[in-house]
Amino acid sequence: MTESTMPIASIRDLRIHFRSKAGVVHAVDGVSFDIRRGETLGLVGETGCGKSVTARSLLRLNPMPPGIHAGGTVEFRGAGELPVELTGVDESTLRAIRGNRIAMIFQDPGKALNPGLTVREQIAEVFYQHRADELLDDIGLTDRAGLVRTLIAREASLRSRWIERGLLRVPPLRAHRAALRRAVDDRVTDALAETQIPNPRAVMDRYPHELSGGMRQRVMIAQALACNPDLLIADEPTTALDVTVQARILDLINDLQRRHDTAVLYISHDLSLVRRVCDRVVVMYAGKIVETGPTEDLFANPSHPYTRGLLAAIPSASHQRGALAAIEGTVPELVDPDPGCRFATRCGFATPMCETTDPGLAPVAADHEVACFIHHPVPGGVGPAYEKAAT
Amino acid sequence: MVDIPHKLPAVAPSTESALRVRLRRVRELSASVLANPTTVLGFVLIVAMISMAVFAPLITEANTPDPYQMPRDWGALNEPPGTDGFLLGTTNTGGDVFYGVVWGARTSLRLSLIVVGITVLVGVLVGSVAGFRGGKFDEILMRLVDVFLSIPELIFALAIAAVLGPSFGNIILALAVVFWVKYARIMRAQVLHVKANEYVDSARIIGDSGWNIYRRDVFPNAITPIIVQATMDMGHIVLVGATLSFIGLAEAGLAEWGVLVSEGQAGISAGRWWASTFPGLMVFLWALAFNLVGDGLRDVLDPRTETAR
Amino acid sequence: MQVREYLIRRLMILPLLVIGTSIIVFTLTRVGGSPIGIYLSHEMSQEEVAEIEARYHLDDPLPVQYLYWAGGVLRGDLGWSGISAGPVTQVMPDKIAASLELAVAAGIVAVTLGVGLGTFAGARRNRLPDHIARIFSISGASMPTFWFAIILLIVFWVYLGWFPVGRSTTALFTSIEHPTGLYTVDALLAGNLRAFGDALWHLVLPAVTLGYGATAIIARMMRSSLVEELQEDYVDAARAKGLAERVVLKRHARRNALIPTVTVIGLSFGFLLQGSVVTEIIFQWPGMGRWMADAVLRGDQATIMAYVLFTSVLFLGVNLVVDIVYAYLDRRVVLGD
Repeated sequence: MTESTMPIASIRDLRIHFRSKAGVVHAVDGVSFDIRRGETLGLVGETGCGKSVTARSLLRLNPMPPGIHAGGTVEFRGAGELPVELTGVDESTLRAIRGNRIAMIFQDPGKALNPGLTVREQIAEVFYQHRADELLDDIGLTDRAGLVRTLIAREASLRSRWIERGLLRVPPLRAHRAALRRAVDDRVTDALAETQIPNPRAVMDRYPHELSGGMRQRVMIAQALACNPDLLIADEPTTALDVTVQARILDLINDLQRRHDTAVLYISHDLSLVRRVCDRVVVMYAGKIVETGPTEDLFANPSHPYTRGLLAAIPSASHQRGALAAIEGTVPELVDPDPGCRFATRCGFATPMCETTDPGLAPVAADHEVACFIHHPVPGGVGPAYEKAAT
Repeated sequence: MVDIPHKLPAVAPSTESALRVRLRRVRELSASVLANPTTVLGFVLIVAMISMAVFAPLITEANTPDPYQMPRDWGALNEPPGTDGFLLGTTNTGGDVFYGVVWGARTSLRLSLIVVGITVLVGVLVGSVAGFRGGKFDEILMRLVDVFLSIPELIFALAIAAVLGPSFGNIILALAVVFWVKYARIMRAQVLHVKANEYVDSARIIGDSGWNIYRRDVFPNAITPIIVQATMDMGHIVLVGATLSFIGLAEAGLAEWGVLVSEGQAGISAGRWWASTFPGLMVFLWALAFNLVGDGLRDVLDPRTETAR
Repeated sequence: MQVREYLIRRLMILPLLVIGTSIIVFTLTRVGGSPIGIYLSHEMSQEEVAEIEARYHLDDPLPVQYLYWAGGVLRGDLGWSGISAGPVTQVMPDKIAASLELAVAAGIVAVTLGVGLGTFAGARRNRLPDHIARIFSISGASMPTFWFAIILLIVFWVYLGWFPVGRSTTALFTSIEHPTGLYTVDALLAGNLRAFGDALWHLVLPAVTLGYGATAIIARMMRSSLVEELQEDYVDAARAKGLAERVVLKRHARRNALIPTVTVIGLSFGFLLQGSVVTEIIFQWPGMGRWMADAVLRGDQATIMAYVLFTSVLFLGVNLVVDIVYAYLDRRVVLGD
């Protein structure tokens, strides 16, 4: 494969468990998928199915402990860079990727922005963290040597301590610090302008609580895309927003993604949203992938009983309001799960073997894989089938 | 927008009787209280010290005529710990430190039980009436609470005890005057809270009497923070009481920890550390034990302090 | 803008609370007996006693007596301090200065140690440092100040001889002027470093004693609010930006965790006031607390009233300041988010 066709990120057999009072929860249990360059991938499933944990492992944001990395790899291939295995990489390499090559926007921008810092301060951090050299370049300090450069460089990379910050208020240094601030401000303004925030200079000095929900999410997006990342993780980016704002935010992400050729991983439980914006979809259930495929194909030919159940739950013209088909039963306990198919307890087509044997993912069409015995040969025995059970 | 349905809560039909539910709840609670090692440590300390208080006459021979007075042996001044017959040494007036430590536990138990008993009773009564009746009475109570809270409690107790004159009984009285306000406040807040809740309204619509609402809805809800506060105060009151008697507001020669520390203070510059150290340690352990248990109780009883993870 | 109204209301209620407190305490002290004793001597005749009684309005009904006392306060007359043999207003400034110096030192100890320890523990939740800090702060709330002071004395004064008792070394004390009454400040003003060191040296043990309880409270609050903040989404968001854990902790989580801690810092001021009585007695510190204790033991009502008045004004004032600081720090309060 050439670099341009190589996936930007590959997750292989990822297992993340959590220690809890009840035992070890297998939150993510052997998940594998790729994220391709520039694509929009939807990761869908119920609350607690492990989709957020999977996505967060791309930034290694799952708290450990109580989380345990029980196996698998997450490989990231930034543009023009060597592949990095994120689960085992050292802290400083990881931090150079976070916010720079892989960025994330969160579900509730009201909570994901620090209430005590202005918009300017929060976006500026990204530039300080990842673009300190360029900032020094901007203010013409790159070739300087000595204390001035050292102090400004430390300030520019958020490393200065209080005593240094004190020094930076004293005249000769003060001018440099002001120049640094202006350089950062310019970049922050540009980043905000990208998200079509009106009057970015004024918004910069606001605190998050002074902005509307939509504006906050724009700030969040500006912050995430500040460094032109290769991959953007969007964890339910519109659920906390008003319906009218949702569409505009989605369009905005879409627009920016196209312009910068960014891959986007959408985490969502909203299937109509996924259908609208995603190129491909990964469906998760109870810590495992049950089906994955191109959006068109998957929605046209849902192959896993769980996916079918989900799609049946979507209201469409043919359904009456309120007559949605909910899936019976509850998600199984993820503490010491049974070896079989996790959906078996709720599946209308399950056979005894479904409870004892795990059906791995197998292709049903081009690029379309399903983990269900209905679709692939059963190793000895009678497998389930839609036709038989339908009667 | 359509969400994938979240999992449904499994509601088991309740077949247990109310009493059994309550018993099971108590069992569960005590299990979770005892799961915390520091709480267990507190319990052990409390049991040990209360036994010491209760069995004081068996541990050391009671002084006559008043067992709460320190026995004096003028032939054994300033004996260090371990001296024959004086396990923890003697003071500069021949007081047996061990006797003071043991009978001090009894004095402290008496102090804390009486003060907590009075303050809880008065506080719950006044707070309930204020919360339920509202109006003038409530207004007056709240202003009174504000005034009480405008001066640190030890200082207030100090001023009151000073007026009443130096005696341990007056310390008890002073502490009772200062501490009831807390309970009145908790109780009133709980009553108002429960009153604002819908289920009391529905109870009223169904036609319950006020007393029934109080007994069934208000009291069980309010009792939790009261118990936690009372547990902590069992320790806190001994701490404040000992401080007052250390300052000199109890009768001299009383078998009480604060008095004993004060008596031993004179000797420390000469290196006689024991007379102050042991009784002071007892005050610390006493307060610590009740704080640990109170803390554990709060964690278990108060759902608000439960953390997400 | 509700905040401003609330604060103005608080400011207006403050004098009412002080009046309420003083009425209660005044009534209590007078119920305990007439303060006439401190004005009398044995050779006075019956007429002279009556004359004194009339001069100090001790023969009037209680409410009238209170009004005389309150009127005196407004005119700047707090009465005659029997134990100091002088007018209260003349004795008080020195006592206040001594207590203030000690309280500030203890406050510095409590805030820096408390915030530092709380941050350290909160950032290492459920690990060994956290457990140690928890034991420390629970024992802080249970520690009798008088005992802790004595233990410090036994260890650092009697056995090790590292720290002195009292407020200063007399020779150094008399060698400089005392315009402020704060010995450390006076020494610096006089440019006398030895006197400064001496004053500081004398401050260490009482400041640690007095600050210990407050340290424990502050550390506990800081720890729990930091733990809470660290669970917020914005902390993950900050990490997702690639910020170092140190920056995430200090610039993001700790800043916000300090906001609720400010309230507790205000509350622990009450702790300092209470603790100062015992601390000053044990370390022979000539401040307000020890003065009050003396007054209490010898029934000096004017001094007791002056102390109560002073304490409640200070206590309420500090709480008001804390509210203002809190409203300023927590920007979410302004719009009632």
